[in-house]
Amino acid sequence: MKRSADVKQVKHVIAALCRLLAAAGLDPVPPPDSFRRAKFGDAVQEDPFWQLLTDVLQTAGVVSCDSSEPTAERRKLVAAGLWQSGFHADWMYEGEEGGAVSSQELLLALGWLLATGALESVVMKRVQKLDRMLLTCTPVLPHLPADLHVDSASLRRLQWLIGCLRHQRRMLLSMLREQTRALHAVLSASVAAAPSSDRSSAALEEECVCVQQLCSLLEAYLKWKQVEDVFWTWMDSVVDLKDPINGRPKHPTNENPGVCCHGNSRLEKLEAVLLRLPAAQRGQRRRGGDGKDREGGERTQGGFGVSSSLPPVLSSFPSLPSLSQVCRARPRLEEPRRRPAGGPGGRAEPPNELQVSEAVALLLHAEAVLMKRRDEQRLTNRTKLQESIGRLDELVLIPP
Amino acid sequence: MSVLTVQLGQCGNQVGQELFDIICSDAQEGQRKTYSAASCERFFHQTAHGDLVARALLIDMEPKVINRSMSMAAKSGRWSYGESSHFSQKQGSGNNWANGYCVHGPRHRDAVEELVRREVERCDRLAGLIAMMSVAGGTGSGVGTYVTQCLRDIYPSSFILNHLTWPYGTGEVIVQNYNSVLTLAHLYQLSDAILVHENDTVHRICSRLLNIKHISFSDVNRVIAHQLGSILQPALTADSHGAYSRNPLGELVSALACHPEYKLLSVCTIPQMASSSIAYSTFSWPGLLKHLRQMLISNTKMEEGIDWQVRPPADSGRSRSLAGGSFNTSLANLLILRGKDVYSAETGGIDDPALYTSWLSSKEAFSLWKSPVPFNKYEKSATLVSNSQALLRPLDDMVGKAWNMFASRAYIHQYIKFGISEEDFLDSFTSLEQVISSYSQLC
Repeated sequence: MKRSADVKQVKHVIAALCRLLAAAGLDPVPPPDSFRRAKFGDAVQEDPFWQLLTDVLQTAGVVSCDSSEPTAERRKLVAAGLWQSGFHADWMYEGEEGGAVSSQELLLALGWLLATGALESVVMKRVQKLDRMLLTCTPVLPHLPADLHVDSASLRRLQWLIGCLRHQRRMLLSMLREQTRALHAVLSASVAAAPSSDRSSAALEEECVCVQQLCSLLEAYLKWKQVEDVFWTWMDSVVDLKDPINGRPKHPTNENPGVCCHGNSRLEKLEAVLLRLPAAQRGQRRRGGDGKDREGGERTQGGFGVSSSLPPVLSSFPSLPSLSQVCRARPRLEEPRRRPAGGPGGRAEPPNELQVSEAVALLLHAEAVLMKRRDEQRLTNRTKLQESIGRLDELVLIPP
Repeated sequence: MSVLTVQLGQCGNQVGQELFDIICSDAQEGQRKTYSAASCERFFHQTAHGDLVARALLIDMEPKVINRSMSMAAKSGRWSYGESSHFSQKQGSGNNWANGYCVHGPRHRDAVEELVRREVERCDRLAGLIAMMSVAGGTGSGVGTYVTQCLRDIYPSSFILNHLTWPYGTGEVIVQNYNSVLTLAHLYQLSDAILVHENDTVHRICSRLLNIKHISFSDVNRVIAHQLGSILQPALTADSHGAYSRNPLGELVSALACHPEYKLLSVCTIPQMASSSIAYSTFSWPGLLKHLRQMLISNTKMEEGIDWQVRPPADSGRSRSLAGGSFNTSLANLLILRGKDVYSAETGGIDDPALYTSWLSSKEAFSLWKSPVPFNKYEKSATLVSNSQALLRPLDDMVGKAWNMFASRAYIHQYIKFGISEEDFLDSFTSLEQVISSYSQLC
């Protein structure tokens, strides 16, 4: 009973999304049932979803295409658009030779686009088309002088200017409300007027139609926002349905099968941050040695069995577990009963597999070490500050 | 676009009644259709019979002043207050800010908010709210502060201008400085701008310019109403594109009070004379503006007894101290010219950069409004609304006196028993000291 109620609710929610997409000017929009079928990879739904993805990407301005249609180009266009918005999937890199893309994959891609705000872009474009009196301002990049003086006078001037902008914004909002009221009055008057009235002008009728479409669009958007959460819960079920083994990226991003399909960009950023750490800490790594002190439960890179291609900086904390190793290693929840019993080979953990409890212990240990260092640094800073104060005559500082 | 006026306490209700009287008679004078229509839309709504009903609420904890204001309005025959646009109780606030703010305000919040909502719904579009009150007593100051807070909560994006009447320095109420400090400190956070009239200053205008022998509160209120009317009546602004501005409060606040530490505004008007003398006087714009400029920089509110020796200092000579120098540095000024030949009037040097603080250009700091329609029987009149150091000394005096009383904890128990603490007093003093410091450093 509950299940059928949930199914009905999901259908209503997807129908709200379809109405919003239609009101936003996209045509054609697959019916709600197509979404359900696509969840299970129905081949018939592939073409409608290819078209929908193309329309969304083009309307939102993520990609543009001059050619009138060829289906082969459409796949490239969608792949390019999805890549621009940060989505990655195997089929995007395979081209036509990779075979057909299931409607389930396309549905997931659509979900990604909606989550990144493509829907709002599409809606906004439609609003701008319908409301010709809408003010659109492009963001202005301020050109700050290279020798910017930050003194109290400049700050006060800046505060004044910010205040002025705030007041202008409030006045603008007020005028927009007045404009809306006036439009509503015009619309009401024109709706009340007889359709065959000689006095109604074509321009006014056109304006009325635009305003009505605008109202429908805004209403559809509001309805969608009220039920959006249910859609994302349903999309989670689509993701869960996807086979996790087959879902691994087939393209060789790197040697390590445990790396997230979104690539190593986050790991690279982490490495860049760690590269900026003081050289003294690298010295500790040299003194600590590589994997010599396995006693006391401290793990080093050798203990994880990770390949030696690990960047040296990541093991520059002999007492601190390498964060990338913890990230790369896949937490393993199962009991190690699949390992061959006994034997030295069986004792070594499979590469890049780490028990959840071990990962937690490592991270807790890392946290404790970092907090200890932070406290030591604070104490050093306070001592230095007190020494500086002591050197200043006739100055009393009251600490907070 | 309409402005809703909330009249609070005895002073607020009396000044408000005079203000609407002046505005109505000014709007209905002569054949000035566009001006009249703009003024009436802003301050009145019309009944089915064509009668003008003020867009105003009258709030007091005693019924006497409200009843008198309503009957005087009705007697004028030209306008009236709404039959149900008032709220009063049977007991006052005892000249106690805490009684007004902590007891009466919350107790009657729902009723007052309902009145406000009903009145706002009658407006096609709300341009903003003006709360009028004094700071010396208990209702205007305490209830007025609470009501301002409610207005801010209900209409967070509307412009709120507070008009305050500061008491005579010699004292009408012994705890007036406490009430004043508490009011100002709270309003600084809630209000967009605070327009101040000092009783002492207006009293001198009545005495020396208007030659009134026995000055009553009614005379003082009429002068205040004249100055307020000259600000609030329709005018052509830089942003109104040839039509009377539809956003008077927004434009006023944008012109003068963009910085959160500088919200105190003062007013001076020229000419001001007995009505019997007006017909025999002629004025020129250069003459009027020359006097007005000197009134600004020497910080006098009357065209009589101006100190012509005060000059803008040289760049190196700007003083930062409260005591040093008599030159009044401005942060921003709004000049409003009304009357004949207004389009040919120059600014009279009031946009001179030397008059302003160094961190704002005179282009940003100076604004000019004009109206070709003479106001309140003056063929030509100029009003200067100024955000400057003009109120610095009176404010400092007020805070100083309040602090001296607080230091000995005089009368504090009367406030504490209604629910505010010494911490609240200290916070208020701190806020106002910051305001004093900011204005002192204006150079």
